[in-house]
Amino acid sequence: MPDSTNPSNPGKKVSCMEMLQHILDGDATAEQQQHFKDHLDECMPCFKTYNLEVALKTLIKTKCNGNGAPQELIERIKSQISQNMPR
Amino acid sequence: MEEEIRQNYSEEEKLKVFHDEFMPHINSMYNFAYRLTFDEDDANDLVQDTYLKAFRFIESFEKGTNAKAWLFRILKNSFINDYRKKSKEPAKIDYQEVETYYNSDEVDRQITPDLRVETLQDMIGDEISNALNALDVDFRTVIILSDLEGFKYEEMAKILDIPIGTVRSRLHRARNLLKEKLSEYAKQMGYKNS
Ligand SMILES: [Zn+2]
Repeated sequence: MPDSTNPSNPGKKVSCMEMLQHILDGDATAEQQQHFKDHLDECMPCFKTYNLEVALKTLIKTKCNGNGAPQELIERIKSQISQNMPR
Repeated sequence: MEEEIRQNYSEEEKLKVFHDEFMPHINSMYNFAYRLTFDEDDANDLVQDTYLKAFRFIESFEKGTNAKAWLFRILKNSFINDYRKKSKEPAKIDYQEVETYYNSDEVDRQITPDLRVETLQDMIGDEISNALNALDVDFRTVIILSDLEGFKYEEMAKILDIPIGTVRSRLHRARNLLKEKLSEYAKQMGYKNS
């Protein structure tokens, strides 16, 4: 992981955003996670963006789940499957 | 998924795999289908087709592997083949899916989105869902797979048949579009941002 502790250097911001996305999507190693946790204390843009992204992700999970599959659909699939089975 | 290793399931085992490993994902599958088609009948058909197809090809499914990713992949392919063509959604444009994406100027702009956590949390109605639905289908899809269903980049790459780098840049762009939508809503709702 590149050093990303200097947000005033534009070249470093790139790795900030990239790192943030990996963390957010559970694609980071334990070591990267620790590094990022430390980094949040030092980089305000990351801190703000991270909180916003986490809030958004949480909201998507709670607001976009729908009402579940219709019971008729579940029954229809089950009956079609059992009809396809040789008895 | 990669290799055609056929499993030898007894009829009883097939049913067991189907019920134990496929059926638990039906709510996620239906939600995905509905958010792709925006039509209850189409969503029903799409899910049913997917499950029947999965059962027909059950011998290429290895017990205990990622059934959910496999099902999502089948559904997504059925959607592209059977529904997307006839839907009124126009073929989509420029995704700016350059792998060098993170080097672009846009990155700076995204570091300070004009949207605040408090504003988001005030959106207690359908705003988030509507904003998601308003995205182009490819952007909508990556948000659903990642944020809603928790798939990892690698799984998404397999489901969508695209490289991992493309998954990441598409997801990045999708989230920014979603935030743009939400800050539009916020403005309409009269919030003062930033
Ligand atoms: Zn940073």
